[in-house]
Amino acid sequence: MIKGDKSYNDLLTRINELETKLDESNEIIESIRRGEVDAFIVQNNGTNEIYTLRSADKAFRLFIEKMNQGAVTIGDNGIVLYANTSFAKMVDVPLERVIGQVFLGLIPEAQRQPVSQLIAAAWRDKESRGEITIPGKEGGELPVALYLNQLEIDGGVALGIIASDMSLQKEAQEQKREMEKKDEFITIASHELKTPVTSIKGYIQVLQFNFQQQGNTHAAELLGKVDAQINKLTALISELLDARRIENGQLPLHFDRFDFSALLHEIVEETGRLLPQRLVVEDTTEGVQLFGDRNKLGQVITNIIDNAGKYSPPSSKIIVQAKAEQNILALYVKDQGIGIPRDQQQKIFERFFRVKGKKENTYAGLGLGLYISAEIIFRHQGRIGVESEEGKGSTFYFQLPVIRGENLSASA
Amino acid sequence: MHEPKKIFVADDDQDILNIIEMMLRSRGYEVVMSSNAEELFACKAEDLPELILMDIWMAGVDGREICGRLKKNKLTSAIPVLFVSANSQIAAITEDCRADGFIAKPFEMKLLLQKVQEHLHASMQAQTCDQISQD
Ligand SMILES: Nc1ncnc2c1ncn2[C@@H]1O[C@H](COP(=O)(O)OP(=O)(O)O)[C@@H](O)[C@H]1O
Ligand SMILES: [Mg+2]
Repeated sequence: MIKGDKSYNDLLTRINELETKLDESNEIIESIRRGEVDAFIVQNNGTNEIYTLRSADKAFRLFIEKMNQGAVTIGDNGIVLYANTSFAKMVDVPLERVIGQVFLGLIPEAQRQPVSQLIAAAWRDKESRGEITIPGKEGGELPVALYLNQLEIDGGVALGIIASDMSLQKEAQEQKREMEKKDEFITIASHELKTPVTSIKGYIQVLQFNFQQQGNTHAAELLGKVDAQINKLTALISELLDARRIENGQLPLHFDRFDFSALLHEIVEETGRLLPQRLVVEDTTEGVQLFGDRNKLGQVITNIIDNAGKYSPPSSKIIVQAKAEQNILALYVKDQGIGIPRDQQQKIFERFFRVKGKKENTYAGLGLGLYISAEIIFRHQGRIGVESEEGKGSTFYFQLPVIRGENLSASA
Repeated sequence: MHEPKKIFVADDDQDILNIIEMMLRSRGYEVVMSSNAEELFACKAEDLPELILMDIWMAGVDGREICGRLKKNKLTSAIPVLFVSANSQIAAITEDCRADGFIAKPFEMKLLLQKVQEHLHASMQAQTCDQISQD
């Protein structure tokens, strides 16, 4: 409707004015919402009225606006006074249509009964809590936890309601349960695989002992080789299971104080059986104590020595050098083998990574040994690395912190 | 010559029992084998072993629980208990149950014999000390 005799141009100007005002208003509302405005002045019949926002705490307002939980305030008449975007999303109603609505009207029919009970309880007891399910996205169900709390606002009372989407928590719980199940499977599988191996290894060792007693050194020696292969099988079982544990983030380590040199000599003796006359040991770490998982660190040493043997010519020497300087113990294992291309020297510590090439393809392996070794060394606050030249050989090394002084307790 | 030391071995796997028995007998120990560690609690005081080797999971019997009961009982608390198990948490379990040591499966015969000897020796020394202080 057009009043009076205003021209078309006047009208256009008026519309522009109104649009500008509307934009301004929207901007103001947006600013309030974003927490940029603490007070504003409204010109009313020639006087200035100052309106301040009661909760002028910007950070707090922003927090509520941005938080993942739905936040709603309802008056004692059940009308929504305030709601944040998260709540609007939960009930799938645009935010501007939520405010001013009857709260129960926003709740799905089936859940109105329990929610109205929660509201009544909160008016009566100052607070209440409960859980409901509302229709979620794609026809699913959304579990929502409600926390209702009586608030005093402007001398009156209102109810503050926090609605938390529990599906993430539920999902996390579900994942945790899955992980536990996986871990339990790994634990059982590890136990079940090792049990028959224990019997085989046991009988072999008893037989070997008997042959030795009878002076049949040849038979004893052959059985020694069988035993060494069984150790390899055991190591493979452990490798597979440890890799799974690392993925699940729960490779268990058991820290204790131990003598490094003794461990090194044990491992050299064991690995040396499959590398006869190839290991040259230079150890100056006598008496050096480490605080760590002895078995797992033994596994790392075994791994590096095994690799040195595997990736080098059959009778070439492997130098195993252990030194302790100041508070650092270092082990170097130097071979004269195929070496590793420079651009792949870091990658070999990744899971399943194996250097590819005509030569490399002829070696068997899972590509897990160094991945696990690196994890074990990191968990001991150590460093692991390699220096290598293709065709000449590699030196693998790790460094670990040393315990000094006698009175350090051995508890983790 | 001293009487042979008596070692009680509990495992639900008959092969493992045989193997450990053969290993220990070869060194002159007396071995009592059992697939049920509960039998320990029916032992008369004079029949108690000097050392116990025990699995952790034994078909319905929980080695941790047995160890706990042994360590609480005055008659048996001084007997060294070593877990022999393929359980990957064996080190932590040993600590939790206050067992005296552990041997992870699969094990080296040498290591088993060495640990047995060590713990027998340690407990003998502890006993001698006790006797001296009682006299
Ligand atoms: N001493 C070495 N000399 C040359 N290459 C090596 C050496 N050690 C490891 N590598 C390379 O690193 C890769 C990863 O090693 P590792 O994780 O032990 O797995 P695997 O030996 O089972 O393949 C190997 O496949 C090999 O390509
Ligand atoms: Mg390897």
